[in-house]
Amino acid sequence: MPDFSLTPEQESLRDAARKFARTEMAPHAAECDRTGRFPEEVYRKAYDLGLMNLNVPTEHGGSGLGLFEQCLIVEELAHGCGGMTTSIIANCLALEPIILGGSPEQQTRLLDPFCAQYQLASFCLTEPSGGSDAGGLSTRARRSGDEYVLDGEKCFITNAPHASLYTVFATIDPALHHRGITAFAVPRSTPGVTPGPDEDKMGHRASSTSTVRFEGARVPVANRLGPEGEGFSLAMRTLDQTRTPIGALATGIAQAALDHAAKYALERRTFGKPIGEHQAIQIKLANMAQAVRAARLLTWYSAWTIAGGAKGTLESSIAKCFASDTALHVADEAIQTFGGYGYMRAYPVEKLLRDAKLTQIYEGANEIQRTVIARELLREYA
Amino acid sequence: MEIVVCVKPVPEADTRLRATADGRGLDPENVKFVLAGYDESAVEQALLLKEAVPGSKVRVVSTGPAPRTEEVLRAAIALGCDEAIWAEAPAETVADPVAAARRLAVAVRAVPHDLVLCGKQAGDDESGLVAGALGELLEIPDFGFVTDLRWDAASARFRFRRAAEAGTEHWECATPVVIGLQQAWNDPRTAKLPAILKSRKAPIARSPAPSLPDDAPRSVPERFSLPAPRTGAKMIEYKTPEDAATQLVRILREEAKVFP
Ligand SMILES: Cc1cc2nc3c(=O)[nH]c(=O)nc-3n(C[C@H](O)[C@H](O)[C@H](O)COP(=O)(O)OP(=O)(O)OC[C@H]3O[C@@H](n4cnc5c(N)ncnc54)[C@H](O)[C@@H]3O)c2cc1C
Repeated sequence: MPDFSLTPEQESLRDAARKFARTEMAPHAAECDRTGRFPEEVYRKAYDLGLMNLNVPTEHGGSGLGLFEQCLIVEELAHGCGGMTTSIIANCLALEPIILGGSPEQQTRLLDPFCAQYQLASFCLTEPSGGSDAGGLSTRARRSGDEYVLDGEKCFITNAPHASLYTVFATIDPALHHRGITAFAVPRSTPGVTPGPDEDKMGHRASSTSTVRFEGARVPVANRLGPEGEGFSLAMRTLDQTRTPIGALATGIAQAALDHAAKYALERRTFGKPIGEHQAIQIKLANMAQAVRAARLLTWYSAWTIAGGAKGTLESSIAKCFASDTALHVADEAIQTFGGYGYMRAYPVEKLLRDAKLTQIYEGANEIQRTVIARELLREYA
Repeated sequence: MEIVVCVKPVPEADTRLRATADGRGLDPENVKFVLAGYDESAVEQALLLKEAVPGSKVRVVSTGPAPRTEEVLRAAIALGCDEAIWAEAPAETVADPVAAARRLAVAVRAVPHDLVLCGKQAGDDESGLVAGALGELLEIPDFGFVTDLRWDAASARFRFRRAAEAGTEHWECATPVVIGLQQAWNDPRTAKLPAILKSRKAPIARSPAPSLPDDAPRSVPERFSLPAPRTGAKMIEYKTPEDAATQLVRILREEAKVFP
């Protein structure tokens, strides 16, 4: 029998994340959303409690959690603030190529000192000329003795202005297309590495996003992650791991929207009764609740599949795509439930819509997820 | 220093409470039990003293039914307590503070104790009686409402304060002593994920029930009822603050008749 119950360990991890989200994140969410402030103190506390490097093995100083446990935690954090969660889990994304593709020596040399204190890392794949077509990226890596020289620009890079380590995908020869892509671990202190100014974003405003320029940045060969030309596969294997937690993040936003809407439906009265007694609102809440549960179960299923050793490309794409579409839709319906108040910045639901929107775009836009889902699906029928 | 902290599982603050079918107690279904604020402070103070006095050990003790009691003991272990001791008892029995104190006293007596720390009162019934009863049963001094608890190694005494009606009492006391703590030196710490995971596997020692002939609780809950839902709240819909104030004054005068 499939079993949907959580172990006591999983429950206590979820409870700890829930408590952190309620007491440390949610109280600052509206302020950071308004001002775009990067709440470093929250991120430091998240690090102190072990909520930051969730996927890094304990022997390298991380929390060493499985994908399912990561998802439980990420959903709870996102309930507190989606943008803060994006910044908290960006390390998982940036360090995953080192976990998957780094040699034991590289893991010890790169991960141990990094995880020993509060530090941020960024995953640098997307370029101004295109994110979806990652195989066609143009940042160059030229071999020069026992170094590579990196030239190019990355954009929309989470935490880049604050990060001390970048995992960078560059090509040794654009003519090779995705077979030329190679991954590197690049310390921020490397001369020629320059993050740009923080972007002004629609949502996830507590997170920080910027370009990163590489101008003659010299990286030792020892920092190449995996062989030349294996970077594209490494990026895809990384995203196969991190896509499911994005589904969990979206589920957390959707659950928050449902919670706000249901509470409001009990309080707000029109025509002599709470709006929750009008059938139109009841149907709305019922549909929202179905979608949120479905998103959670798809996320759990994907995490369970991958934790069991499967590649999980199909399941994680389904989870990420469905949960992010759900988050946008449920946030929209929460605003509708609030009526005019929902449209006001003083109420919490319009932020959820703006935060939800990003989950359809990053870590592979949903159009790409659907392309992947269809490809994997049709393969089963071919 | 041998420190024992006594903690009680209480419903999480924003829990929706329900009475049991017989109306005599709290229905534990869907209720999450946690360490309450004063108990968190007691644990924090125990850990701070342990850090301040090398070679110290902190044992955490609780009495009550499974699984809630085990949960709070594990929470205390995750925060840094060294050992956990559980005196199993039905919830109805330990609803009586003296019956609870008797069970805690059996557990405390079985281990070395220079300091027995409790929260100044429980987070649910707020009876505030357990620390006093414990002192009596253990036949050692007890103090409630304590702040600024310090260990003075030179004199081998505790020094602390109590807020009194017209000022502050300053005390010193030899060991062993029971302290009902008002406040620790700082805000309670939060458990880290690796410690939480480790706490799930920590052993929990069992403490026997008291073997007294008159162990039955002296008091039993008669009826448990929730406050009636508040009615009559009125939301003022307004366009400007002036509009809101005008409407409020009208309602206070004409409907609530607060002033003529
Ligand atoms: C706040 C934020 C944070 C981010 N953080 C990071 C980060 O940390 N690291 C990182 O590397 N990237 C990051 N990204 C980048 C993100 O992953 C990309 O924006 C995303 O992959 C889409 O790429 P693009 O913006 O270039 O859009 P494009 O690739 O230009 O796509 C534009 C539109 O066309 C659609 N489209 C493109 N190709 C196809 C196709 N073949 N078939 C159908 N439709 C298609 C897309 O789905 C999209 O709707 C972040 C983005 C944002 C907004």
